Amino acid sequence: MNIKMTPQGGLIYLTMAAFLIAAVLLCDKKNRHLGRGFWFAGFAAAVASVAYRGFHTGHPPMQNLFEFFLCMAASLWPLSLLSKKQTGLDTAFQDALLGLVILFPAGFVFSAEPRSLPPALQSPLFVPHVGSYVAAYIVLARAALMALPMLSAKAQTDPARLRQLDAASRQTAALGFVLLTLGLLLGSLWGKICWGHYWQWDPKEMWSLATWFVYCAYFHYRLKNGTRNPHALAVLLLLGLLFIILTLTWINLAHTFKGMHTYAS
Amino acid sequence: MLNLDVALWTCLLFAGGAVVLAFLGPEKSGALMGQLGCQAVTFALAIGIAVSGVRAVLRKRFDSALMHLGCACVMAGWLMGQHAARTTSEAHPVTGSMAMIDGDRMDTLWTGRTLTEYVGKLPFTVRLEKFTVNFYEGGMPREYRSRIMILEPGKEPRTEDVRVNHPAYVHGYHIYQMSWGESTDHYGRPVVYTVLQFIRDPGLPVVYAGFVVLLAGTLWFAARFFTRPKGGAA
Repeated sequence: MNIKMTPQGGLIYLTMAAFLIAAVLLCDKKNRHLGRGFWFAGFAAAVASVAYRGFHTGHPPMQNLFEFFLCMAASLWPLSLLSKKQTGLDTAFQDALLGLVILFPAGFVFSAEPRSLPPALQSPLFVPHVGSYVAAYIVLARAALMALPMLSAKAQTDPARLRQLDAASRQTAALGFVLLTLGLLLGSLWGKICWGHYWQWDPKEMWSLATWFVYCAYFHYRLKNGTRNPHALAVLLLLGLLFIILTLTWINLAHTFKGMHTYAS
Repeated sequence: MLNLDVALWTCLLFAGGAVVLAFLGPEKSGALMGQLGCQAVTFALAIGIAVSGVRAVLRKRFDSALMHLGCACVMAGWLMGQHAARTTSEAHPVTGSMAMIDGDRMDTLWTGRTLTEYVGKLPFTVRLEKFTVNFYEGGMPREYRSRIMILEPGKEPRTEDVRVNHPAYVHGYHIYQMSWGESTDHYGRPVVYTVLQFIRDPGLPVVYAGFVVLLAGTLWFAARFFTRPKGGAA
């Protein structure tokens, strides 16, 4: 447990409180407007949290897992809004909950000790590479959550509902796939410039590539079978999310996977 | 539509293979993929993916074509680099390092933990003008910088600053700031040395071209979902 009695911690807990209240209010149709207000307030607090971290450390706050999770939480609201416009599916409730889950390790587990940027991270590719992955992981997590109801029996007997869930999750996954590819290729380019090789067979690289292949499999499966088996589509998107969670946590922190991307001290 | 089944299983197989290599670790994975057999398999897969790309062109699915051809291109570029590494010679080495102190001139590459195994000779000479290390206030390193002069026969000498994230490019070689250390010279006086790494990869432009094509294909693919009427992806 790592409770932060700092302005940084205060901002994180404020964000979490706002997300929690928003989620509770958004459950009930009567409180929708108030719920949206808190959902936006949470976003504002998350942005303040990222900005504070940036000023405090003196570099873009994308260096370690703590900062990565703060950025993910701050990118949720705009991505949720964009997705509502595009897919017609309002996911504010589940996105607020997702924000709460993301901020939990940032608020209570990860260390927030500021560190100066080592020479290896001083690159114009630092922000685009990490930023692509922040956005990709959020978008793909949302795609998996959108596909989740496809597992229930109710959705499978309602073709209109099934079509909506499939279209929304597939569109979201397509956007996430672009961002995932961008992050992977920018990382590879940066690897060449920084380490001398565009591919090092580093465990984090391998897991990121495996994640990419899972989404390739999803799109091939969807192309072949359509929505005939919605279970499989949902399972593939959830498998992608599982790979993302493993890449972010286990691979970064476990000593089994020592490499250039290890964040365990 | 049997081929789509093959594609699906290939994707899942790749995902599983990547996980296996992650468990093996970078050294063992790199060594395994350096084997001729693995490269033959990669070659066959690249051909298969390129065929999918060409078939996509025939079906006028250009996003899919770009994605598949981009992947095949990256794999082909990697194979070209591996081929160059296999056929490396002392006259034309692919990779090696040199350790230098200020004022040293060198045109040979070395390998091994103490850089005592001879690799080969460069088509140019490097002179280390000055190596500097800067630190943050707390003592963390901020910047390593090797200012080098490149001496090529028949050409004007030119200086380059080699830093981490800022390699120099000379005559087909990328030059990297790899490492540094403190030692003593013949008279026992303390000296600071820099280690520069030299890497030549003829497949690199092909890999980069593949990156661009793959990314363009992915953008095209996703754009299809965002230009259609709401929820109307089919």
